[in-house]
Amino acid sequence: MLAKGVKRKHGEMEAGEAAAAPAAGGSPAPAAPSDSLFNISMLKLHQSLRHVEPNLRYLVLVANTLRRIQDQMPAEAEAPPPPPGRPPAAPEPPAGPGAAGCPDRRGRPAPEDELLLSSWDASLCASLPGAPEGAEPPGPARPQDAAPPDGEPGGRPDAPRPPHPFFGSLELLGSTGSLLEDSLEDIFEDIDTSMYDCDVWSPTSLAGFKAFSGADEEGEDGGRLDMNDLDYLMDVLVGTHAL
Amino acid sequence: MIPGFGNLMQDVLWCFSQVKGTIDIGVTEADIISTVEFNHTGELLATGDKGGRVVIFQREQESKQQPQRRGEYNVYSTFQSHEPEFDYLKSLEIEEKINKIRWLPQHNAACFLLSTNDKTVKLWKVSERDKRPEGYNLKDEDGRLRDPSMITTLRVPVLRPMDLMVEATPRRVFANAHTYHINSISVNSDYETYMSADDLRINLWNFEITNQSFNIVDIKPANMEELTEVITAAEFHPHHCNTFVYSSSKGTIRLCDMRASALCDRHAKFFEEPEDPSNRSFFSEIISSISDVKFSHSGRYVMTRDYLTVKVWDLNMENRPMETYQVHDYLRSKLCSLYENDCIFDKFECVWNGSDSVIMTGSYNNFFRMFDRNTKRDVTLEASRENSKPRAILKPRKVCVGGKRRKDEISVDSLDFSKKILHTAWHPSENIIAVAATNNLYIFQDKVN
Repeated sequence: MLAKGVKRKHGEMEAGEAAAAPAAGGSPAPAAPSDSLFNISMLKLHQSLRHVEPNLRYLVLVANTLRRIQDQMPAEAEAPPPPPGRPPAAPEPPAGPGAAGCPDRRGRPAPEDELLLSSWDASLCASLPGAPEGAEPPGPARPQDAAPPDGEPGGRPDAPRPPHPFFGSLELLGSTGSLLEDSLEDIFEDIDTSMYDCDVWSPTSLAGFKAFSGADEEGEDGGRLDMNDLDYLMDVLVGTHAL
Repeated sequence: MIPGFGNLMQDVLWCFSQVKGTIDIGVTEADIISTVEFNHTGELLATGDKGGRVVIFQREQESKQQPQRRGEYNVYSTFQSHEPEFDYLKSLEIEEKINKIRWLPQHNAACFLLSTNDKTVKLWKVSERDKRPEGYNLKDEDGRLRDPSMITTLRVPVLRPMDLMVEATPRRVFANAHTYHINSISVNSDYETYMSADDLRINLWNFEITNQSFNIVDIKPANMEELTEVITAAEFHPHHCNTFVYSSSKGTIRLCDMRASALCDRHAKFFEEPEDPSNRSFFSEIISSISDVKFSHSGRYVMTRDYLTVKVWDLNMENRPMETYQVHDYLRSKLCSLYENDCIFDKFECVWNGSDSVIMTGSYNNFFRMFDRNTKRDVTLEASRENSKPRAILKPRKVCVGGKRRKDEISVDSLDFSKKILHTAWHPSENIIAVAATNNLYIFQDKVN
């Protein structure tokens, strides 16, 4: 740990966290290391979320570190400028401790989030179980000032912060199992399948058909359908058409 | 003192034995070793790599003519365990990298091992074939079918010796049970079940049943936005088939008893060391994240590895570890750089020796460290081609932290952070260690007197 007032060399920037920690005497700790740490963390978070299946451990550790950094940053500090090289359209990070890529005050989602969400239909999001009420797609479109749920570990009562909207998109990414099991019918419910809904193809009638053809399998021909079977099959097909 | 057990570290001199892998400067990503594991007798040594391959080495019989060559390990079997897969629903490629290999105890001539990538666990049977039947009646030696009407006499096929062939066949595939990335597998002491752990869930499997598994731990929050902690490693107790531990990214260990309830979300014991306020930094949580957890062979202790230390916990004491060993504390002042280049997220493993008296873990610059729990002495050794003369004694290495650097020392700033020893293994009963250095596997043995 560095004593306050000691002139630091560039090499000592390694102990950047010492500079960012609030000094007891209120000495002017330079905010630069903290800013760069903040920017680096934001970048890491963005890059991680770009993956279809981000490394959860990495993501959680970076997000938690970002929270720590933001907690230490002076509350009235202006939003730090985006790191050089980023597209000018990138929104300023909000002054409050928000998650990476929170929409700016006008509520536009960050370009990265649009990329993330563009591959998902909003209606698809809405139909999934566990999707938020009001059928809004998860992500930055959520109200920014939603108070964190009580159960959030480490939540600070004096500085309510919006939940990280990006982890909501993980809900989508992570719920492949439930997508298949519960929601497949919902997804396709607007497709008209009435012309294919006929009793002939119901399992019971098919079972009967199988039983009928099964009787011939022990024959010498080894299961080849004879003319009677083919006639029956044609009747079935023609019968469907007649409907 | 049992021969072969190094109870006191000062008695052990480690020597180079073998190195496997190419010397090429350009390493293909697929050849990077991602897991190393001895089987229960130490006769077999398995490695998995990023390309999804498993290579099994077998220790050759010791010969009286060459007592110095104490049983070298030679390639026994090589097979492709996992292939890259494409998940069409999510439009993503599932890596074939082998995350973990775990052996099953051997009951007959064949050996079985579990290997896993991010999503799928497979049970492989490795068996030998050194005889083949000859003299079939219905087909000739080329395999062509003979006309039954031409056969006038019958003969009994006989088994004739053939060149040894080692076959690896996948016996079970345990798929579609993990939404997140599998980080651990552990065989239960009942030898009927095993568990697989991903970032948020742990599943219990029966070896015979592949189409279902029991979920025994689930830390996924109802709202993923509340996610602040993931599971990093899990292991069954070596003797109590109802007990297991899992570690988290927040540096905690939970011990669970499966008899208590079907879903072990409530731990039976909770191990956490209070944070040292003088060492607090932005990176405190990251460096406290546990990368490996291992029960001692006795089952009395649990060892955990976080970024800078190895800790030994007594199962009866939850509030702090029994022992803490500094692996490379000189990195504490470099955490910012290591965060920038992502090295701070490296996951080092740790291992016990057979008698639980010495623990070993890897570091950077191809260094690895051993700590003797009895004498409290430690040593830093290096896995390098320069020290690769047969039976060459490994010289202890030292990292110079500040001030004048001695001739043999290396300064912190000269360390090569791309050369990391993440995976090591210790023979179950002898002083033989396997150390994976990127694409090379080093085998070291203690000096034969």
